[in-house]
Amino acid sequence: MKVTLSHIHKRFGAVHANNDISINVEGGTIFGLLGENGAGKSTLMKVLSGFFAADSGEIKLNDQVVSLSSPADALEKGIGMLHQDPLDVPPMRLLENFMMGVRGFLQPRRTAESSFRELCQAFDFDLDPHAFVHDLSVGERQQLEIVRLLWLGVETLILDEPTTGISAPQKEKLFATLHQLAADGKSIIFVSHKLEDVEVLCSEVAVLRQGVLVGQQNAPIDPAGLVKMMFVQEVNLEERLNVDLGSTFLQVQDATMSDLRLKMEGVTLDVKAGEVIGLAGLEGSGQQLLMQACAGLHRIDKGAIVVGGQTLSGRPYQEWLNAGVAFMPADRMAEGLVPGLSIAEHHVLTRYRRDQEQDKKTIDWPLFRKHSQEKITEFNIKGFVDSTVESLSGGNQQRALLSLLPKKLRLLIMEHPTRGLDIESVLYIWGKLLKRRQDGTAIIFSSADLDEVFQYSDRIVVCFGGQITAVLNTSETSVEQLGYLIAGKQPPADLREENV
Amino acid sequence: MKRSFSPVAVGVAPVLLALLVTSLIIIIAGAQPLEVFLAIINGSFGTAIKISDTFVVWVSLAICSAGLLVTFRAGQWNIGVEGQIVLGAIGAVWATRLFEGGAPALVISTMLLLGMIAGALWGVLVGLLKIYGGVNEIFGGLGLNFVATSMTIYLISGPWKPEGTSSVSASKLLPNEIWLPTLEGLRVSPVSIVLALIVIVLVFLALRGTIWGLELKAVGQNDRSAFVLGVPTQRILLSAYTVCGICAGLVGAILVAGVRHQLVVNISAGYGFFSILIVLLSGFTAVWSPLIAFFFAALGIGGTALRLGLDLDSSLSGVLQGVLVVSFELVQGIRQKWFGGDN
Amino acid sequence: MKKINVSVVLVLLMAWLAACTGGGEVSTPPEEAAEETVVEEPVEEEAMEEEAMEEEAMEEEAMEEEAMEEEASGEPYTIGLVMVGPRDDRGWNQAHWEGMEYVLENVPNTELVWFDKLNPADNPDLTVEQVVDDLVAQGAEFIITNSAEMADGTNIAAANHPDVFFIHASGDDALTGDAPANVSNVMGQMEFGKMIAGCAAAMASETGQIAYLGPLIDAETRRLVNSSYLGALHCWETVRGNDPADLDFEVVWIGFWFNIPGVTLDPTQVVNDFIDGGADVVISGIDTTEAVVVSGQRAAAGDNVFAVPYDFTGACEEAPDICLGVPYFNWGPDYVRLIEAAMNDSWSQEWIWSPPDWTDINNPDTSAIGWVSGNGLSADAQTAIDDLVAGLADGSLNLYTGPLNYQDGTEFVADGATASDDQIWYTEQLLEGIEGVSE
Repeated sequence: MKVTLSHIHKRFGAVHANNDISINVEGGTIFGLLGENGAGKSTLMKVLSGFFAADSGEIKLNDQVVSLSSPADALEKGIGMLHQDPLDVPPMRLLENFMMGVRGFLQPRRTAESSFRELCQAFDFDLDPHAFVHDLSVGERQQLEIVRLLWLGVETLILDEPTTGISAPQKEKLFATLHQLAADGKSIIFVSHKLEDVEVLCSEVAVLRQGVLVGQQNAPIDPAGLVKMMFVQEVNLEERLNVDLGSTFLQVQDATMSDLRLKMEGVTLDVKAGEVIGLAGLEGSGQQLLMQACAGLHRIDKGAIVVGGQTLSGRPYQEWLNAGVAFMPADRMAEGLVPGLSIAEHHVLTRYRRDQEQDKKTIDWPLFRKHSQEKITEFNIKGFVDSTVESLSGGNQQRALLSLLPKKLRLLIMEHPTRGLDIESVLYIWGKLLKRRQDGTAIIFSSADLDEVFQYSDRIVVCFGGQITAVLNTSETSVEQLGYLIAGKQPPADLREENV
Repeated sequence: MKRSFSPVAVGVAPVLLALLVTSLIIIIAGAQPLEVFLAIINGSFGTAIKISDTFVVWVSLAICSAGLLVTFRAGQWNIGVEGQIVLGAIGAVWATRLFEGGAPALVISTMLLLGMIAGALWGVLVGLLKIYGGVNEIFGGLGLNFVATSMTIYLISGPWKPEGTSSVSASKLLPNEIWLPTLEGLRVSPVSIVLALIVIVLVFLALRGTIWGLELKAVGQNDRSAFVLGVPTQRILLSAYTVCGICAGLVGAILVAGVRHQLVVNISAGYGFFSILIVLLSGFTAVWSPLIAFFFAALGIGGTALRLGLDLDSSLSGVLQGVLVVSFELVQGIRQKWFGGDN
Repeated sequence: MKKINVSVVLVLLMAWLAACTGGGEVSTPPEEAAEETVVEEPVEEEAMEEEAMEEEAMEEEAMEEEAMEEEASGEPYTIGLVMVGPRDDRGWNQAHWEGMEYVLENVPNTELVWFDKLNPADNPDLTVEQVVDDLVAQGAEFIITNSAEMADGTNIAAANHPDVFFIHASGDDALTGDAPANVSNVMGQMEFGKMIAGCAAAMASETGQIAYLGPLIDAETRRLVNSSYLGALHCWETVRGNDPADLDFEVVWIGFWFNIPGVTLDPTQVVNDFIDGGADVVISGIDTTEAVVVSGQRAAAGDNVFAVPYDFTGACEEAPDICLGVPYFNWGPDYVRLIEAAMNDSWSQEWIWSPPDWTDINNPDTSAIGWVSGNGLSADAQTAIDDLVAGLADGSLNLYTGPLNYQDGTEFVADGATASDDQIWYTEQLLEGIEGVSE
């Protein structure tokens, strides 16, 4: 089925999640939709699958304008979406899950079962209809969802980050399935931030950045070009400062760390006081894990992390805080601020715990309101002492987080410190950060904006596939070279020589 | 979570709705709603004895809901509160066995103390299961409730079996001296009312003006953020369970020392579950929950009087309570779904 | 997550509320609204007339005068009845209910106020004292409480209401001196009923496996199990001439007087397990009717199994064809005696362990316990039971004759001796030969 989206706009409050996006997906093709988190891919696909209506714009299926009122409606019109997160499922058998979403109650089980078996056979899926869904791996759940959607008559299949969390053979099987489906004339939209997947799978790729369609490519794909489209932002930032670096403050010594999706081995990294390290890499390459480990929020499996001469790996988080380590998360409302609490209440929390006034038990509210008001003024936060943090805009939330940082700060670790912020906030926040750095605070940050990485880092650490693949001095590196490294390729020889 | 409405405004609508629905049920049951409501009021406030009985129930509900406010503030559904009450009762009876024949004041204080300790232990167990065992507190609590009941039956038919009687289903009746002193001719003990007031005030102050109260709130709203900000979330969770367990244990001890004077099966009488409903209805506020607890206590005592002249089942007051809670949730839900409540 | 929790919890709470308000009937259809107290009409005229005709002339005059006086002043004597379970449970409580109906028929100018299902499952927040207060407020001058766990509550209530007379059925505080003077105890000598039950079971059993569905373990329940065993052993050995070693008598205690889901063993499950394990007669010792009901279901499904229910004359009606009979309580006569004593100001505290009327154990006016044979009982078995009763009646037979040992081998009754009432009342263990725990 041919799918055409024209001039789609979708806003969430101040965020323009989809800004005039037009794409065209022919039947029988696999179309890649590429972009970092928050670029607007999921929003666009939710518009297409009926989760919400676009503010303006048009959806055509086989050149017929349609309106999609709900996911069920979209499904009926032949659009099915495979979600990123394997949804929490009740203890249900595969066959029961398979039959969900069928119109009418009188679908005979036996028919369903034979259809299920036929479909599984056609794609060489090894699924037992009487097994329980919660015993399946992520990849098997995908297979189940694919046959279910096909059985429901889907003509266009949307896959949201389908290769996250599945094994290599499952990935191969998935790609073979998708090729087979495309050969049958179905249209596939493959949403991902993984270049290598898009490169081998898609016949056409569109790149989104901050809600805008920034470029399109047809196969053969040029990864470095895509990286540039995904990351480079045309913003002029202020001049780099040069600061004298102190002695080594953070040492990661041959550390192994792992979460459900990724395992990093043999990680070694030294960071000096006052140094700024930028982490570059595609999302999910290990930067997040590395930062959480360095902040004391993720326990490493092997090796050691030494902070200011103390081995802190394996120690309680409180000791990391006492050592002057602070963490600012990408998802501010999930891991940084407590929704429902006011700015003043946040100050009370951090002040008593982090700044070691733990002997106090009761709260001196007048004092803290005054203190918070000072911070609000100092950090230019648009909000009040009693404003709950969720009522603040993203930039002001980030400023609020900054205002909570302790006075005595030795190492600051930040995920995407300026993501989603207006340029004024970005400059303001980096101004504050660089002042900290002059006081000897080491900074590690990740960013999807390569210009930001180049602008502020002393060194750039590149992660790919769970490994640190390069540690570069910023002054000796070019954006092009970095683009290749991020994509997991070696830069062409001429580029390398140029910089040596 | 529940800031932007006054409990009064949102409290009235569900009560009206509940009265309406209950009236319908009463009419279907073939009675006059007004008569029934008057019977309930009369049954709970008609005589000094009835008023004092209402206060007896209120003490349990009020203390227990104060404890639950703490766990709710930390985002925990402490269903295990029922078992914590039972353990409190067991602790209190145990104290009487340890200090048999001791000075009454000493024995009574030990009863209250051991009751609180036992309740706290049972509460902490729920927390430990959750933190280290990954057992959701609802299921852990339910399981421990069953264990507590079984423990009661084991004790009264085993080690604490009263001697010299042929048939048992309760532990030995405690001697008169170690009953909580009551008002002349009434069953309510001023001591227990004072204890309830103290607990309510302490919980109110702790939630409002202490770091601990704020940390509870932070943990309840978003424990990950709270952790990153430096709140020792596990310790805070355990402290919440401890405090709630202490309150529930106190209720159990008061039930032994002031109401039942022995260990009986199901001594907690569902007060823990009622208290959960009370806290829900109060919008998680320390000011409203004692008042709503009073309302529930009156319904409970008045309900048994429904038979006075009315050929009605006393469980009708239970229906009223249930309808009330559902009405409340309904009004809340409608508010949030259709009028953009903050959630 | 929080949303899910809210709904889960609400569902649980609602289920619990429903459980509380729905009551604990196990197999009885809830025909009557539960828990209410109904003021019975003063004695119907018909009953009055019958009553009057039965009375002897002397008494008749006196009674009529009294009754006339009372009626003239419009103040019938009000009796309160507090029951642990539903009054129509075809078991313990219905036996009391019918005993009370007997009182209303036989004592002129009496009326009844009552409260049922006062137990930790249905009304956990109510105490005996509160209920007694309510009944007294209704005018009750004489109150009967009918369950073991009401002992202490009855004593407290009696102390609070010294002008009201109390019977605590099944208790012994009047014996031990723990009860105030206005409390008496009544219990039937069910030991004999259980002996008959055991005999009926032994006569019916083909496999020799008899199972006893026990409530919780105390002296009362132990002595009833022992009596059943002795009855079974007697008929197995003496009447049928079998080897005692082939008699397999097992007791399983569910943990309470009735099923409390999640806390006690489920009696339905226990009875099924008995039958699956080869038992072909189930004797019930609990308040409710699972033994006969489940056995009836299993028999209908083709199993060869019989049951002996307990407590109430009509208990066999649950499954008449597989019912061997039921040992029942007949509370009426003792109640009448004590109530009349109270009315006539001749009350004295008593502990009554009332024997059957050996001239006719089923005489409704004289015998405290009795036995009704069921459809399942064979003619041979009936003969054996008749012989047993005759032997017990004329004293030629005493099943509590030594040598009898407890389970741990200690001597209970020496060779040739017989057990005293006291020994039986305070039975410490199950007898040697019974499978199951004593403590």
